[in-house]
Amino acid sequence: MATASRGFACALACLLAAGTLLAGQEGGGGRPARIAGCPSPSREFYPCAKPKAEAFNPPRNADGTPNMNGAWNPVTANGSQNIEDYQGDAFLNKQISLIIDPPDGKVPYLPQYANKRQDNWDHYIDPIGACWLAGVPRQVYAPRGIAIVQGSKVFSFVGEFAHEYRIIPTDNSPHIGDSIRLFMGDSRGHWEGNTLVVDTTNLTERTWLSISGHFHSDALHVTERFTLVDADTILYETTLTDPKVYRQPWTMAMPIVRFEKGHEVWEEPCIESDHDLPDLLREHKLWLGLDPPK
Amino acid sequence: MKLASAALLILFASSALAQPRPLLPRASDGKPDLSGVWQALTTANYDIQDHSARLGVPAGQGIVEGNELPYQPWARAKKEENFRNRATLDHEEKCFLLGVPRTMYAPFPFQIVQSPAYIAVFSEYQHTTRSIFMNSEHPEGPIEWFMGDSRGRWEGDTLVVDVRHFTDQTWFDRAGNFHSTDLHVVERYTMETPDHIRYEATLEDPKVFTRPWTIAFTLYRRKEPNVRILEYECYQYAQEQQSRGGP
Repeated sequence: MATASRGFACALACLLAAGTLLAGQEGGGGRPARIAGCPSPSREFYPCAKPKAEAFNPPRNADGTPNMNGAWNPVTANGSQNIEDYQGDAFLNKQISLIIDPPDGKVPYLPQYANKRQDNWDHYIDPIGACWLAGVPRQVYAPRGIAIVQGSKVFSFVGEFAHEYRIIPTDNSPHIGDSIRLFMGDSRGHWEGNTLVVDTTNLTERTWLSISGHFHSDALHVTERFTLVDADTILYETTLTDPKVYRQPWTMAMPIVRFEKGHEVWEEPCIESDHDLPDLLREHKLWLGLDPPK
Repeated sequence: MKLASAALLILFASSALAQPRPLLPRASDGKPDLSGVWQALTTANYDIQDHSARLGVPAGQGIVEGNELPYQPWARAKKEENFRNRATLDHEEKCFLLGVPRTMYAPFPFQIVQSPAYIAVFSEYQHTTRSIFMNSEHPEGPIEWFMGDSRGRWEGDTLVVDVRHFTDQTWFDRAGNFHSTDLHVVERYTMETPDHIRYEATLEDPKVFTRPWTIAFTLYRRKEPNVRILEYECYQYAQEQQSRGGP
């Protein structure tokens, strides 16, 4: 449950704290060792949870769609600190890779970008540390967790962090014109059996995938799959395609678990609180993308 | 002849009485389905009261019942001071959240996503999110939130939302009309046709006003095919411009 004192600035230090707060108490790196009867690390969770999700007959809404309404916690993602294996240090927690494909658990950057993530970490402000929108897919595993609200032919996420949201029509409507670019992109969803499949285009290159500096270009195309493994666990899969930056499409998977009953996602201001961006800008630059307009 | 006209009159009267309300869209729980993209068409974001045009501001009829706000004397002086300093003091200039009810008449569309237990309101302005938790209690205060804490219930076909726990950082408009942390708003959303919602709100704030006062306006459904909420990330645009050293 949120507390009233949380309206603090959300620059790097507090994001790091958020990752720690969000993580569970058990298991290495602050994550529960097992979720839905499966080991929680992504590369073990996915093959164990996938058949369970395919076999599960979920609770349903009045319109017959699987009922995912409620408040959810991406408990193994450490508030999006990192997405690859990381041993942990003074700044970032230990992380077990969220990437299930390729099997080495690493983002398949093109050779010319092999050192770019490190350069980002050294020289740029994580965009969400500047109170910019988290983008897709990061909003799903960003700090604080999300609420899902399912309306008629629409699926929506309310992020507590910086009052971010995403609205996903599930009415077979087409994407908007390609020249409109949005931090949260244009998401369209449809149900394949009990799985919500979301296709997101129209993204900007202003967002990252982690505090540690993983990145993409404006050619990013994201496909996500949300499937209930049991009434309190979602198997979340997301595939990122971006031929400007990656050698091949790659996929993350992770469990998202229900917060305790009664948990409400509340307002957390970002720019509206005591924002320390000027301090950050003394040593780091704003991330405007790989090739920002001059 | 007399009989015939009387019968006609009765027929006319009964048909007027029986005039059915337009068929409203209904959610699975039988409540009016407020889902969709909506927008107010007033000039209340400039000034919630009647105002003549001035440079950059269209003239407008206010949304306040009786037009006058019942300020306490000190608060009326404060409002006038706010008006003189509006270019820098209104937090819309800093891209902050606009609060309630201002978000509902700001010149941006918003989308309602409705489920039985939770109604979400998403505005295009600076990714504003309102969560309306149904049939539940406010958390214990004091809490200061820009959008307050919204608790909803249905009274017949009207959605009634009780909003408390505000900051004193938001204004009602660009003209300096203001409130304290004691603001309490009760909103009423009544769908009049499938494409119109009558919005009414009663506002009370014993620190600033001498009595409760009300506002009312119409929300119009955006009918364009494929209409969706886009983004107005004004804070980010300002940061980006600044980092490039100017426009």
